[in-house]
Formats: sequence, structure tokens, C-alpha cells
Amino acid sequence: MRHLATAAEHLGQARGLPAVLDAACDAFEAILQVIGDYEDTTGTVCAPLLLAATQAANGRDAVLFAPSLPPRARHPPRATQEQERGSAAGISAATAGVSRLLAARLTHAAALAAGADQGACHDAARHATQIHGLLTGHRP
Amino acid sequence: MTGRPAFGDFLTAARDSLAPRPGQPPPGRGDVEEVSRSLARVVTLLARYTQDTATAFLGIPRRAPPPSAPWGRARAQALQALASSAACLHRPGTGRPVWPGPPSASPLARRLDELATALATGRDLLYTHFAPGPGGGRAHDSPWALALTSERLHRALLAELAALAQQVARHGANVALAPGPGVPADPGQRRALNGACQWLHVYAASIHAARRQQPVPAADRDLLAALPANTLPARPARTGAQDIPGLCDAVITTAERLRHLAWHSAHQPPWSPGLTITSLRQAAETSTLTSHHCALLGGLLADTAARSGHPAARKDLAAAGRAARRASSTWYHAARGLREVTTDTRGQVSPAAAEARDLAWWTGRLAHADPAWALTSGPHTPPRTPHGLVPDPGHLPHVITAVHQAAEAIALLAGTEHHHLHGALHAHRILVPTRTLSSDYDIPRPYSPAPEQCTGPLLGRYQNARKASRQATTGIGRAAHAAGAPSRVLATAREITTAARSATPVMDTGHPALPGGREHEPDPPGPMQQALRGLGVTDAALLARGADLDRASQRLLIDAADQLPPASHRPPATTLNRTAATAALLNHALATGNPQAAQLLRPTEAQREQPGPEPEPQA
Repeated sequence: MRHLATAAEHLGQARGLPAVLDAACDAFEAILQVIGDYEDTTGTVCAPLLLAATQAANGRDAVLFAPSLPPRARHPPRATQEQERGSAAGISAATAGVSRLLAARLTHAAALAAGADQGACHDAARHATQIHGLLTGHRP
Repeated sequence: MTGRPAFGDFLTAARDSLAPRPGQPPPGRGDVEEVSRSLARVVTLLARYTQDTATAFLGIPRRAPPPSAPWGRARAQALQALASSAACLHRPGTGRPVWPGPPSASPLARRLDELATALATGRDLLYTHFAPGPGGGRAHDSPWALALTSERLHRALLAELAALAQQVARHGANVALAPGPGVPADPGQRRALNGACQWLHVYAASIHAARRQQPVPAADRDLLAALPANTLPARPARTGAQDIPGLCDAVITTAERLRHLAWHSAHQPPWSPGLTITSLRQAAETSTLTSHHCALLGGLLADTAARSGHPAARKDLAAAGRAARRASSTWYHAARGLREVTTDTRGQVSPAAAEARDLAWWTGRLAHADPAWALTSGPHTPPRTPHGLVPDPGHLPHVITAVHQAAEAIALLAGTEHHHLHGALHAHRILVPTRTLSSDYDIPRPYSPAPEQCTGPLLGRYQNARKASRQATTGIGRAAHAAGAPSRVLATAREITTAARSATPVMDTGHPALPGGREHEPDPPGPMQQALRGLGVTDAALLARGADLDRASQRLLIDAADQLPPASHRPPATTLNRTAATAALLNHALATGNPQAAQLLRPTEAQREQPGPEPEPQA
């Protein structure tokens, strides 16, 4: 769950709209990475994680088209890392935590943003909320 | 299967219109003029149906058999016979039929009007599968249209029409030759009506002759009857169904909805803003789940089949379960690939993708024991037991139908989604986040058109999903046939449209299917038997001798038909009915459906060049 922890840390430290968008994009990517690793290592499909991964991709895409997103990642992913292993329950819990943080930061950013940035933040926050709902059964 | 009207409903109504009804006068009575008028409508509709099969629903390119082939020949002869029948009914001075006609009082005329209504409505139903096409032609407008324009279904349709025509001819000739008491008789009108009925016998005989050489599989007639109206069934309410039959109905309806929506989505142009990564992802993830549920259900059904009296289906169901598992895996890889890309428009979910989600939900409910199961339920939710899925062995075909419908819908969706992705790629609408690219790429914006090394494998994954989803339908289709499940028509439709398999269809007996499961109708009494009965004779031995004489006269006329002089040296067919006795003998010979007997009436060359006008309804 190192990816998720790092993403959550960046998200927590981000200040200003571009930084929040950048960290949110990385956080969604981290969710995709962790779920993908789980699917690769177990060879099974867990429905809530599968659906959560789709919402993570949708959330990342929403942020991707925000005008204020920096063109290059502030924290580029490190080259070839080992796949992370974890149980479905552990991954669900960690992902739910990050998604709750994502929803909160993006909702807050939306209140400060305008135009297309605001729309992107709203959309991304909605997808983060859906991830949390899929993995916990309730909304944050 | 989904509460929509099917073509078979109207075929049944057509058959019922000619069947005896308790407490009502027999259909073989009526006023000659009224009956002729009503018969003209029926003949018009038969001609239109037959013409439909000759032109493959006009405007659609197809490969029709050459006229020398049995069915091509039969079709040409059948159309000639209907033209001759119409010509008999529209002799000079009789006027043209008006539409709608005045209400009929005669029993047979009323029944023929019912028949005409059933035939016209059935034809309207078939036409719902077509839309105006380029150049004034017609374009396919449903997943059933391709099967409907196939030669095999045309033959099935002609076989049904021939069976109806034969019954109509029999009843019509009774009116023509046995006037009711107090009914004024116009000999010319009677001869004309009888002549029209004789040509209907020729029509039926032409088709029966082709069926003897190239039989119509029973499965094709089943498919024809099952063709639904091309409408979107109503969405099942999630709060409704909880028991197995209700869940199966919901799966079937949702699968039909998905097939309908996915098929129509294929017309969406690749530049449409409605084509979004959001839809592609949702379709892929939910198809992964639906295929997984079909795999679970296939395994459970295989365990159930043997104890439900369908041991032959067991192997196919097990194979279907394995194939569905492979389909689930290929769909998952497609979904996984879609995480790496995006499109220029997002957010909008297509109706097909929304329905795919519903199908995953319903199939999940059917497969799992927990009545509160949801898409968010974890992987450790226990599936039903075989007995929990099929508590009553009689329900097995229904559950098989549900799984079969779901698998077919996913197979169709795989094709349309692959088509969408392909179109989006060609329109350069598939993008990739540059953050995920290696540092070799120096792109100063967060997304760029997806490179070939990304799109090629993605298309490959969709091709795999398409292939695996199609394979998943094969086993379940075989099981549907083995268990007599209603969804076996889907397998027939797939077989017809792909023509890729060499399944051995169930051949028919050469006789028209009759309502109530009867295969044979008793031979109608011949002229001698009718004469004896008219005299009040009830002695079985005498009636048997009469029947022998009738059969001998039938045989004599059929043999004589082989030795007739050339057409140019024969009297016109219309003169054959000058006396009621001759007409009755001819009718009896023609009623055998023997194509040789039809030679007695074949038109002369002069008649063939100047066919009678086809009656057209007038507003």
C-alpha cells in the first residue's frame, strides 16, 4: 500500500489548485496501480475493486482535462517497482481512505476554482465518493 | 419471451380464424359474393408475403436462389397461382374491393376477414425490423432483421402460408359448390370463387413440392414464430422479482433490452460525443461480471441438468460455464486496457452501457444466494446451490433461457463495443495520459493521441472478448436445444446468420404444423362421400367404399395430369369448373397438395403473359 500512502501524503500536503489537481491525479493513478497489482497477483476479479478501478480511471480523466493541471507531474512515478501484495479487504480499506481524502480535497478545491477547473474538481470528487461507496457500502 | 407480441401470435390467430369454434356456425358457409370479397383480401396478403420472400424485403441485397432451384421455382409458381386466383376473383364487372370493406355477415367471410387482419398485422410486425434505407430501399433495424431476410426463414414463412392457403381453399370451395338454402346462386360467381380456391391449392402445392425436396427445419418455423415486434421491452423494476422465475424473467427482459440498445448504438458515428470512455469502461467492467455470473450459472445448471431429466444438456452446460469464464477473463483484460486510455469526451453513459450494468445486477442476483446481493458484494458471497437455482426440474428450461439470453446479449455487445473502439481510434479520439508514458516522451500537456503500441493490444483484447463471448453462446445454445428451452430460437438465429456451424437441424415431416400438436388433419371427404352423406347414408362400409372411389378418382386425375396435351392445346383453366361435379373432382385432387395435380390448372402461355390484376385495397 506504499503507493496509496505516498499519494495520500502528497494530497494532504498540496496547497493551491494546481498542486491539488496534480496530487489528485497521482492519487487516482495510485488506486489504479494498487488494484491492478492485486488483480495481477491473485488472478481473480473482485467486483467492488473492479468497479472502483473504473471510477478511479474516470476520476483521473476528469482531473486530466482541468486547465490548471500542471502539464508535467510534480512527483513522477519511480521506474519499475515491485508489485504490491495485499488482501482484498486490506486494499479496499486503504483505497477507501484515500478516496475519502480525495473527495474532501477536491470538493474543497471546487469551491475555490472556477469554470472548467471547477467542473473537473466536482466530477473528480464525485468519482472519489463513488469509490468510497463501492468499497465501504456507504458514503463519506 | 419478453411479453412483446411475436409473429407466432398472429400465425396462431390466423390458424384459429379457420378452426371450428364451439357454438358458432362452421366456417365453410357463406354468401358467395361476400366470401369472394373477403378472399380477395386474403389473396392480396398472401401475394404480398410471397413477394416479400421473393424480393427479400425489397431493397435489401441478398442472394436469392436461382429460379431453377426448387424454392426459387416454387416461389415463381406460387406468385403465378396467386395472380390467377386474384384474376378469378376480379373478373370484369365485379369491381375492385374497397378497404375497409363493409362488415361481413357470412360465417366464412367473417373468418376470412379475421384471417386477413391477422396476416396484415403479422406482416406489419415483420416490417418493424426494417427502416428506410439509402436509395429508397430498406435497411435492417434490429438484430433479428438479418435472420428475417434469410432464405431459410423465407421458406419457413412460405410453409406457414401454404398451410393456411390450403385450409382457405377447402372452406372457400365448400361455399362455392354447396350453396346454403335460400342463397341466390350466380353460377359464374360460384365458378370464379371455386377457381380462385383451386389456384390456392396450386399455390400450396407449389410450396409443398419444394418442401419435399428441401425440407424446412422445425427449428426455423420455431424461430419465425418467435420473432418479436421490434420494440424496446419495459425495464424490469428492481423491487419486483425475488423468486427464481421472476429473476429469470428480469434477466431475459434486460438481455433483450441490451441487445436492442447495443444493436442500435452501432449506428452511432465515431465522432459522436456520446461515444465516451465512460461508456466503454462501464460496458467492459459489467460484461466481465455478467460473464462471470453466466459461468457460475452454467456450472450450477450442469449439476442440475441430470436430475432434471435433461442429461444431454449437462455436458453442454458445463462447457458453456467454462466458455463464459474465458469470456469473463477476456472482458476483464479489455476493461483493464481501458484504464490506460481516455477519450476527448467523457461522463456520458450510453443506454447500452447502462443496460449492461442492469444485466450484471440481475444475473448476479440470479447466481447468488444472498437476496440482498449487489454489485458491491465481495468475492466471497456464496453462489446458490444447484437445488436453490432450480428447485423444480420443470424450471430448468426457463433458467437456461435466462443464461442463454444474457450470453447472447454480451456477445452482441462485444461486437458493437469493438466497433465503437475501432471507430474512435480511426477518428483519433482515443487519448492517453502523458503522465503514464515513459520519460522518452516529451509532451508538454497531460494527454495525447494514444500511440500504436497502446491501441493495437487494446483492439486485440476486444477481439478476444468478442470471440470468447460468441463461444460462450455456443454451449448454452446447444443446451437450450437439448432441454427444449424457448431460447433455442436464438441459437437457430445465430446459426442462420453466421452459417458457420454445421448443426443438424430437426427436419420437418413435410406437413404443416397444426395447432394443438396435431401433425395430420383427416382427409376432407371427397365428392362421392359427400354425395352419400347428403343422401343420409351412415353405413360405415358404404362410406368406406365412397372414400375408396374418391381416392381412385384423385389418383386418376393426378395420373392424367402427367399425360395432358401441351398447354396450347388445352382449354383454359376457367372452363374446367363449368359443372359442379367436375369442379368437385378437381378440388379433391388439388387438395392432396400433389404438385402433379397442380398441372391440371397451370395457365396457358397466353394467360401467363396477361396475369389478372392484383387486387389493391383502396382507401
